[in-house]
Amino acid sequence: MDFFDPMVIALVIAGLYMAWNIGANDLANAMGTSVGSGAMSIKQVIIIAAIFEFAGAVLFGEKVTSTIAKGIVPIDAIEIIDPHIVALGMLAAILAAGFWITFATFYNLPVSTSHSIVGAVLGFGLVLAYNNTIAMADINWTVLAKIVASWLISPLLGAIFAYLLFMLIKHFILQQTDKPYHIEKKFVSLQILTACYIAFAHGSNDVANAVGPLSAGMNALGVIDTGIPIWVLAIGGVGMVIGLMTWGYRVIETIGTKITELTPTRGFAAQFATASVVLVHSYSSLPISTTHTLVGSVIGVGLAGGLAAVDLSVIGKIIMSWIITVPVAALTSALILTGLMGIGI
Amino acid sequence: MIKREYIRSVLNVFAESPFRPLHMHAEKGGDAVRKLSESVEAYCEGDMTRVEILSREIDIIEHEADVIKQTIRSQLKSSIMLPVNANDLLDFLKPQDAIPDDAQDVAYWLTLRQCELPDVIRNGLLELMSKTAETVEMYETLIDKLSELLETSFSKKEVKQTLAIVPQVEELEHEVDIIETNLTKVIFKHEDILGGAGVYHLTELVKAIGDIADKSEHAADRMRTMILRR
Repeated sequence: MDFFDPMVIALVIAGLYMAWNIGANDLANAMGTSVGSGAMSIKQVIIIAAIFEFAGAVLFGEKVTSTIAKGIVPIDAIEIIDPHIVALGMLAAILAAGFWITFATFYNLPVSTSHSIVGAVLGFGLVLAYNNTIAMADINWTVLAKIVASWLISPLLGAIFAYLLFMLIKHFILQQTDKPYHIEKKFVSLQILTACYIAFAHGSNDVANAVGPLSAGMNALGVIDTGIPIWVLAIGGVGMVIGLMTWGYRVIETIGTKITELTPTRGFAAQFATASVVLVHSYSSLPISTTHTLVGSVIGVGLAGGLAAVDLSVIGKIIMSWIITVPVAALTSALILTGLMGIGI
Repeated sequence: MIKREYIRSVLNVFAESPFRPLHMHAEKGGDAVRKLSESVEAYCEGDMTRVEILSREIDIIEHEADVIKQTIRSQLKSSIMLPVNANDLLDFLKPQDAIPDDAQDVAYWLTLRQCELPDVIRNGLLELMSKTAETVEMYETLIDKLSELLETSFSKKEVKQTLAIVPQVEELEHEVDIIETNLTKVIFKHEDILGGAGVYHLTELVKAIGDIADKSEHAADRMRTMILRR
C-alpha cells in the first residue's frame, strides 16, 4: 500500500488526462445545446455542469465503472496470478484510449470515449489471452456483445424518445398557441432542469471511462479494496470539471453560437431524451456515448419536424467511428502494454 | 490550411437552415419591385436619368438575389433532412427567383425608349404597376408566415392562416391581368399617336410588368404545394 508508488501516480495522471478529455469535449457537447437554445449563459452552464457532473460521477458512477474495470476482462482472476500486469495493462488502456481520443479530436472525428476505453481494455484482455495468462473464453464476450449492442441501441432510443417527446410538445403545446415565442420562453426554465439532468447522467456514465481502468489498476496495486471508493470516482469528477473549465467552455461557446435552430422546446426534447437514455444505461451498467445519443435525439426532433435542417451524413461518420474505434484502441493498448513489458516496467 | 480546433462536437448534425436565406431572397424580390415602381413613376414623368439610375440599382439587387439562390441550392445536399420536401422547396424557389429577374428586365426595357404618353396610358401604367407591387407585397406577407410555421412546427392553425393568403395573391394577380388586357387594348387604340415602335415598346412593357405578378402567384402556388405535401 503505497500512494507514492510511481505506478499509482502514473495511473492517476493518465486517469486525469482521460477525464480532462471527457470534460473538455463530451461534457461540453452535452451542455452546449443549453447555451445554443439561449436558455442559459455560459457561466451558468459551467456551474451547473460542474456540480451535477460531479454528483453524477460520485453518486451514480459505480456501476459502469465496475463494468469497465472487471466486466470485460476477468481482472480479479488475473490479479491473483499477476497483479503487476493488471496495473500495467490498465495504464496502457487509459493511455491508448486517451491517445485515440486526442487524435480523433484534432481531426474532428465523432469518436466516443466510451467506445475507446472498451476497445482499449479489450486489447489488454487479448494480450493476456495471447500470452496464455487467460483463455480466450475467459474474456466476457457476452458482456462485450451487450455493450456493443447498446452503442447501436442508445442513439436509436434517443431518436425515438426525442421524437415522441417533441411530438407531444408540438401537439399539446406549440399547436395550441398563437404565440410560440411565449412558449419558448417558458421552456427556458425547464431547460435549466434538463441541463442539470444531462450533466448528472453524463457524469454517471462517462466517469467510468477514466476511472474504470484507474480503479482496477489501484485495486491490483493494493491501494484500494474491491469495490470502487468514492474518492476514486471523485478523481474522475474533478478531472472532468477541470476539462470543462479549461477547455470545454470554448467548445460550449462554439456550439452555442452555431446552433441557433435549437430553440428551448427543441433543446428540451433532445436533452431530456438523451439524459434519460444515458441514465438508463448507467443503471444497466452499460458504457455508452452521450454524444452519439444526443445526435440521435437531435435527429429525432428533426424527424418530428422540429428543425429547419438536419444533416444525416453524420450517421455514416458515427457508424465509421464505431467500426474503427474498437480495433484501433485495442491494438494501441496491446502495443503500449507490450512495449512497457518489453522495457521491463 | 484548415484551422484545427481541439473539438469533437455534435455540430455536424445541424445543417444550415435554407428558410432564412429563402426569406431574404423573397425580400430582394420585393425590394427590386419597389424600385421598379419608382422607375415606372419616373418614366411617366419623363425623368430618364432617374430611370437609368434605378435600373442599375435593380441590377445590383437582382445579383444579390442570385447569390442567395445559389447559396440555398448549394446547401441542399441529399443528406439534408428538412421539414418539407427539398424538391418542392427548390420548385418554389424558381418562380420566386423570377421576380427580381423580371423586375430587372422591365427596368432595363424602360431605359430603351422615352415616350410622350397620353394621360389614359400613363394612368393605366401606374395602376398596373401599383397593383403588381401589391401582389408582390402580399406574396412577401406569405413568406413572412413561413417562419412562424416553422416555429410552431406547422400547427394546423398556422397552416390554415398561411394558406388563406395564397388565394389573396391569386386574386390580386387576376386584377393585374384585367388591367393588363384593358391597357393593351387602349395602347392599340392610340397607335396613331404612339407609332409602331411606341406600341411595340409599350405592349411589351405591359406584358413584362404583368409577368412579375404572374411569377408571384406561381411562387405562392408552389409554396402551398410545399406546405401541403410535407
